[in-house]
This record gives sequence, structure tokens and C-alpha cells, in this order.
Amino acid sequence: MRNKLIFLILFVLIGDCLFSLSINVRSFDHQNYTRIVFEGDNSFGFKMNNFKNSIKIEINKIANIKNRITKTDDSQLIDRVVHSTKNNKSFLTVYFKSKFNIKRNFVLEKPFRVVFDVIKSEESDRDLDPSENKRVKQESKESNIKDKPPKKKLIEIICIDPGHGGTDLGAVGRSKLMEKGITLKVSRKVKKLIESKLGLRVITTRDKDVEVSLDSRAAMANNQKAQVFVSIHVNSSFRSSARGPETYYVSLKATDQEAFKLAEKENSSLGEAFKTAENDDLKMILWNMAQSEYIKESSKLASFIQNELNILMHTKNRGVKQAPFRVLMRVAMPAVLIEIAFISNFYEEKSLMDDSFLDKVANAIYTGISKFIYFYNNI
Amino acid sequence: MNKNKIYFLIAIAFVFFIIVLIIFFKSSCYSGKKELELSKEEVQEKVEQIKPVKVKMFFFQKNSRYMRPFSYEIGIFKARQDVYKAFINELLKSREDCINPIPEGLKLRSVFYVKKRKILIVDFNEVLLNKFPVGTSSELEFIYYFVDNICYNFKEIKEVKFLVSGNEYKTISGHINIENPFYPDYRYLRDE
Repeated sequence: MRNKLIFLILFVLIGDCLFSLSINVRSFDHQNYTRIVFEGDNSFGFKMNNFKNSIKIEINKIANIKNRITKTDDSQLIDRVVHSTKNNKSFLTVYFKSKFNIKRNFVLEKPFRVVFDVIKSEESDRDLDPSENKRVKQESKESNIKDKPPKKKLIEIICIDPGHGGTDLGAVGRSKLMEKGITLKVSRKVKKLIESKLGLRVITTRDKDVEVSLDSRAAMANNQKAQVFVSIHVNSSFRSSARGPETYYVSLKATDQEAFKLAEKENSSLGEAFKTAENDDLKMILWNMAQSEYIKESSKLASFIQNELNILMHTKNRGVKQAPFRVLMRVAMPAVLIEIAFISNFYEEKSLMDDSFLDKVANAIYTGISKFIYFYNNI
Repeated sequence: MNKNKIYFLIAIAFVFFIIVLIIFFKSSCYSGKKELELSKEEVQEKVEQIKPVKVKMFFFQKNSRYMRPFSYEIGIFKARQDVYKAFINELLKSREDCINPIPEGLKLRSVFYVKKRKILIVDFNEVLLNKFPVGTSSELEFIYYFVDNICYNFKEIKEVKFLVSGNEYKTISGHINIENPFYPDYRYLRDE
């Protein structure tokens, strides 16, 4: 019986803890909008009412809010947030310095948050005095000019990446033929063709037998502001019958994980997102996702090159492929990885030893790239 | 109100109190019985688990780029973790007429299932880095041999992540990023 009484007391205490609600209010000015966040330690039901200069949020239980009035002096748009209670309900009223529009509002879980993105209403501009109004209009005109997408830059710089090198031999054939040598030879040939026929600048991630890390290759292309990235490799398989050229671009499935991590970060407390360490993490994730912006163009580039290689090697078009290549993930431009042929296949290894075959391969890659450049510059 | 009426009301209230108490105690006795029954069910569930686990394993063939299925029973286990271990060890065994896309001497160190993220973490020994035959296709064959087989047979696993000697590595042999876990790619499988 005593145990039961203790249980009843505990039940009441736990219940009290479970169903009590405290809400933290915060706001942050972004470039184009102001974000207001109501973060509860438990989820809560709410109703929202819009007024001329305020938003009133009705919460269906009594909430504990640290300050009855939260002043937000640094905010461009929010004046103060006032908390009141009535009939077992809490009311949070956000007062704005001027008329406003709600750009979007949404709810996030873990922790439970109600988020509002608010922008200054254009109507409020009309209330300004004429000289102020003129100045604001001038500013908005200037910002409109700034916001317009820049004129598309034509492709002028191409990065060719000969795979492996130095102590990293790459795939090795039965005759000890090494991938690192073939990729360098083909890259030099492609570079020569592009420079002489298209008159474009070509940079290579290595021009001799040295080891370059995968991340450095991507960084080199990004730093030199290349607009197309082509990595050249020789394939190898556990199946000795495997043959034919393959062209890859980064798979979105692989970057899903990064997207998940990014979503997790975005879903974490907003305040924390501005801490330096967190920011570094975020930068790393975004850097890993650099290629996701160019998937469409990369797919087009891959199909142009693969078509040319299929014609050259009389292979059926198995279509371009996708895989999470480390070297492609961090490249911020259309990027592909070409597997010329299988060094693990007896016949293709023989072809790879033949310099005239490598000439033809280089020519096919050059034709694919030039077709892509024509397509890109004319869309 | 006379005295008799007051006594009568007190008696009714007392009887009502006794009835409430009886109901309260009865329900607690019943819940105790239920707990006992539940634990019996739990025992039965464990007994059910001690049965050979039937799986469908896919292997690469010499003249095909697809994996073909074979049915196996992989033994008797008490814990889920042991089933995963046994399954992966079965994949590591070499088979006649099949191609094992794994370097010689590769061994499984441990497996760990992260229930929250539905990820199976598979930790191999250093052989994966030191003796792997370099090549994009080799890496993809190795990765999807494990990922497809694991995810096909264990629906609770959505992704597989690879570690080598307990550490994360960027790639196996310079191509595919293995820092992130992999979803299955069933284009490698040919069900018959």
C-alpha cells in the first residue's frame, strides 16, 4: 500500500513535469527576412492571429516564459515580444516596428519549434516621407540589379585530372602495365587537342609522375576556377570478362547522406548553428555537396563523352553511370570520371599498350568535351 | 437530517470505498498475472529465434555482371548481431563457379547495428586497404556485394557503412567515397 502511495505521488510529479511547458523566444535578422522562433521543451498546440503591427500566438496551455516582455533592440523589424496568460491559455504577442508580411511559417520537431520568417511590408514604405521613400526605392533598385543573375560565363578553363600517380600505381595489368602511366599519357593528349583546336586554357592536376591526393585535385580545379572537370582513369574488375568504356558522374544517392547531415544541422538549435565549430562542420558538409549543384550538367557531359567512346570502341551504350566518387564530390563545376577500358581484361589491356589506341581515346574525349562546351555555351 | 440517515450515508460511503479498494487490488493482481504471461511470450519468442536462419545470397558469376541468388541456412543464433556476423562471414567464403569480389585474407572484425539510423556498420581488417585490386569496378563490386546482400535479407537495415580496423577511410583504393554509408543498388542483382 505504501508503495502504491509513493507510485501515485511519483505519477503526479512526473505528470506535472511531462505536461508543463516552457517556451524560449528568439529572433535573428537574415539578409532578406527576420526569423522568429518559439522553442518549447514540449510540443504545444497554437492558434495564430495577424494584426497590423503584431502577431498574436494563442497557446493552449499555460507556458512558462522567462521574461514577460522580451525586448529585441538589435532586430530590424521586431520591437518586443509580450507574454500574457488568460483562462488557462498563454498568449505571445510579437510587436513589429513597421508593417510586415509573413514570408513563411513552419513547425520543426526535436526540439519542438514554431518558426516564422517575416519581411517588412512594402505598404510600410508608402508611409515614409517622400524623400525617404525615394531613397528606399533607389536602394531597392540597386539591390534588384545586384540580385539579377550574372550573365552566364562561357567555358574558358578546363581541368583534366590524370588518375593516380607516384606511389599510387592505380590498377595494374597482368603485363605490369600501370594505370598511372596511361592516364597521364591520355591527359596530355586531350590537353593538347583542346588547346590547339578550341584555344581554351587547360589545367592538369598533375603533369608528371607524382602523387596528388583526391581532395587536392578537387581543390586545384576549384581554385583555378575551372568550368569543366574531367578525371581520366583505367578500370579493373574482379570479373576478367568485364570490358568497355564507362563514364561516371556523382550519384545523388550518395550525397543523400550529406543532405541528411545538413538537414540535421539545420534542424539543430538555431543559436548553436552560429557557433564557429558548428559552422566549420556545416562548411565541410556543403563542400562535400559542391557537386550536387552541377548534377544535370555533369550528366550531360558524361553522355557526350560516353557516346564518343561507344562509337570508338564499338560497345553497346550501357548508359552513363553514377557513383559517389571522392574526387568528383567536392568539385564545384560539371565533372565526370572516365574509365577508358578494363586493364583486367586481356584484350583491352593489349589495346591500352597501343599508342594509336590512346590517340583515338583522347580524340573521343576531346570530341565529347567540345560537344558539351557547344551545348553549354548555347543554352 | 436524523442520526439514522447520517449513519446510512456513512455506511454507503464505506461500502463504496471498499468496492473501489477491491477493484483497485483486483486490477493490480490481474496486471501481475499479465506480466507473467508476457514473460512467457518472451521466452517463446527467444525459442522461435533459435531456429536456422534462411537467407537468399547473391553471388557474381564469371560471365555476367549481375549477381545470381542461392538459398542458404546460416545456423542457429540467440542475438541479431550474431546473425549479421554469420551472414557476412558466409559472404566472405569462396565458392566454386562464383566470383568473390573480396581480397584474399579479408576478415570481419565486428558488426554494429545502429537502430535509430537503420545502419549496419561493418568493420573489416587492414587487408581491405592493403590487398585490394585497384579499380572503380572492383570497388563497386565489393561494396554492392555486401550492401545488396545485407539489405536484401535484413529489411531492418537500410544502409551499410564500412570501417577498416575500426577507422573511417576516404576510399578503398582511390575511387569511391566510403566515408558515408551506402544504400543498396539492386541493379546488380538478378533474381531467378
